[in-house]
Amino acid sequence: MRISKTIISYLKKGGADFFLSVPCKLLANMIAILENDKDVFYSAIPREEEGMGICAGAYLGNKLPCIMMQNSGIGNAVNSIVSLLQLYQMPVVFLISYRGTPGELVGAQAGMAKVTKEILQTLRIPMLHCSSEKDLDKISTFTAYAKVIENPVAILCDFNLMKED
Amino acid sequence: MNRFELLKSLQPMLQDNLIVCNIGIPSQELYHINDQPNYFYMLGSMGLASSIGLGLSLSVDKNVISIDGDGSVLMNMNTLATVGNRAPNNYTLLIIDNSSYGSTGDQKTFTDEKTNLKEVAIGAGCRNVIECNGSDTPSNLEKALGDKNNSYVIISKINSGNVAVKPIPINPITIRDRFRKIIGKVDYLK
Ligand SMILES: [Mg+2]
Repeated sequence: MRISKTIISYLKKGGADFFLSVPCKLLANMIAILENDKDVFYSAIPREEEGMGICAGAYLGNKLPCIMMQNSGIGNAVNSIVSLLQLYQMPVVFLISYRGTPGELVGAQAGMAKVTKEILQTLRIPMLHCSSEKDLDKISTFTAYAKVIENPVAILCDFNLMKED
Repeated sequence: MNRFELLKSLQPMLQDNLIVCNIGIPSQELYHINDQPNYFYMLGSMGLASSIGLGLSLSVDKNVISIDGDGSVLMNMNTLATVGNRAPNNYTLLIIDNSSYGSTGDQKTFTDEKTNLKEVAIGAGCRNVIECNGSDTPSNLEKALGDKNNSYVIISKINSGNVAVKPIPINPITIRDRFRKIIGKVDYLK
């Protein structure tokens, strides 16, 4: 719970004030925190692509949205990232549970893990890779950075970072 | 009635509200009928008009109308569940259902066969779902906008067919910035 609390507080410190998730076991604590947070909007939603649309609208309404999802969600959302968020230059923070990284228990997750960073690189999305607790204090600056560059940014949280939380 | 005629008849109801319009010919027709800064034209990401409008309506107090299409809703059908469970009272989803992929050569969609979007919307959790023909759409939209206690889904059944208009000649950042300026919270644009 400590790590999840820290991540949410740094996201909020960086300006994020509108949260969505397509749930993941590794995100469960963060979701529980947000469900009880009266200061920000939070909802689970069925699909990441749809979430990019909702985030786009929230940005137009002057929010700084954050969507939490597994790395598989990036695969579901590629066109909406390029043809909506990047086309109109809309800042959105992707908080990604990096399934398939060492510690993972489900072998099938390795497929998306192998290509996640390359997909993000191909999309020219700045990345913050958090593999240990000492990486977390970069999250607030990185969240604010999305607003400065008016574009999506991605924060990747390794399996081993989240699993014991 | 076709989409162009419908969009024309809706103009009085769109002026004081925030409009998110579906990609392709719907946005092009809307632009050529009466371009306004409170119209957000989608230039990509087919399927997400309802979602963009929903995120906006959750973030502002003004009325938001997503002008969507049958083909686009079929592409992002989970949106009806999210709208059904999360739409605030200032949100209206207007689905222009011409049973046709109008922007890609008028191929038939499944609403021309067995799919009934009204039943899908109700099953997905939407209350206040109205299906009507084109000429009854303005009065139903007016009712939806006037009801401050409910969100609406309006399915306007019209004929397929497009009016020959050119692509929208304004760039996405201009569309974005003038729209955000209407919302009135963007300091650096003032
Ligand atoms: Mg259609």
